Amino acid sequence: VVNAERACETEPDENTAVLVVEDEVLIRLMIADALRAQGLKVIEASDGDEAMCVLQSSLPVHLVLTDVRLPSKTDGLGLARFARAARPDVRLIVASSHHVDGDIGGVADAFFAKPYNVRAMVETVRKLLSES
Amino acid sequence: MWQAGSEPAKIAETVLVVEDEVLIRLVIAEYLRDCGYKVIEAANADEAVLVLQQTERRIDVVFSDVEMPGSMDGFGLAQWVRANRPDIEVILAGSVARAVDAAADLCAGGSVPKPYEPQTVHDRIRRLLAGRTPREGRFGDASVRPS
Repeated sequence: VVNAERACETEPDENTAVLVVEDEVLIRLMIADALRAQGLKVIEASDGDEAMCVLQSSLPVHLVLTDVRLPSKTDGLGLARFARAARPDVRLIVASSHHVDGDIGGVADAFFAKPYNVRAMVETVRKLLSES
Repeated sequence: MWQAGSEPAKIAETVLVVEDEVLIRLVIAEYLRDCGYKVIEAANADEAVLVLQQTERRIDVVFSDVEMPGSMDGFGLAQWVRANRPDIEVILAGSVARAVDAAADLCAGGSVPKPYEPQTVHDRIRRLLAGRTPREGRFGDASVRPS
């Protein structure tokens, strides 16, 4: 994924796509930039409803990174459950600044505490993608 | 795509894309990235203002939908930019002819009728930035109105 000289690829299926779901724009931007710097294709969603819209489309998504708390009908855990059912091959990372009740392990492949450690998060994304 | 782990040789001009429909936003954002721009995505005007308030962040053009939920629509955002970041060009995209006409009066960058082809947006941005002088940036191209 980290090869240089990936010239103007226009076919989305030639990219590994990460869906980043975060309602705080500056945090979303920081994460998206860090993942794009790794050569990953990043789809940005500002809440759970936008993310559902992406997951219901035909767009390739290989990994979802979502905040638990989202200002939408669908929160991060609901989104993770939906993604698990709709796209079983998608890897899931859930992040929260608060303790999360319930069985995260049953829903997500990894959990991150917020504020994000961007470097660790990028490493986890790459590790999960390399396993899939 | 950018080369991984390194900045492009030329510092990319930055476009802030403001659009509340995620599938439209990601298509135009990806297209502009493929054209070589750095693209920042905002889902509404409130998010855009948070980005624009970071004055150390380089932004050359705001490309915004007119109709958006939130405390401000595209017109409000254009007015905010004019008042607070006058060095930044604004292009508005609207699906209502009247709104597009008003946008043309409000923004030096003019307007693009929706639905738009990504190529049209790129052409508009390219011409706007090409016509910009380094220190004064608000004398862009003529506007395009829906036929």
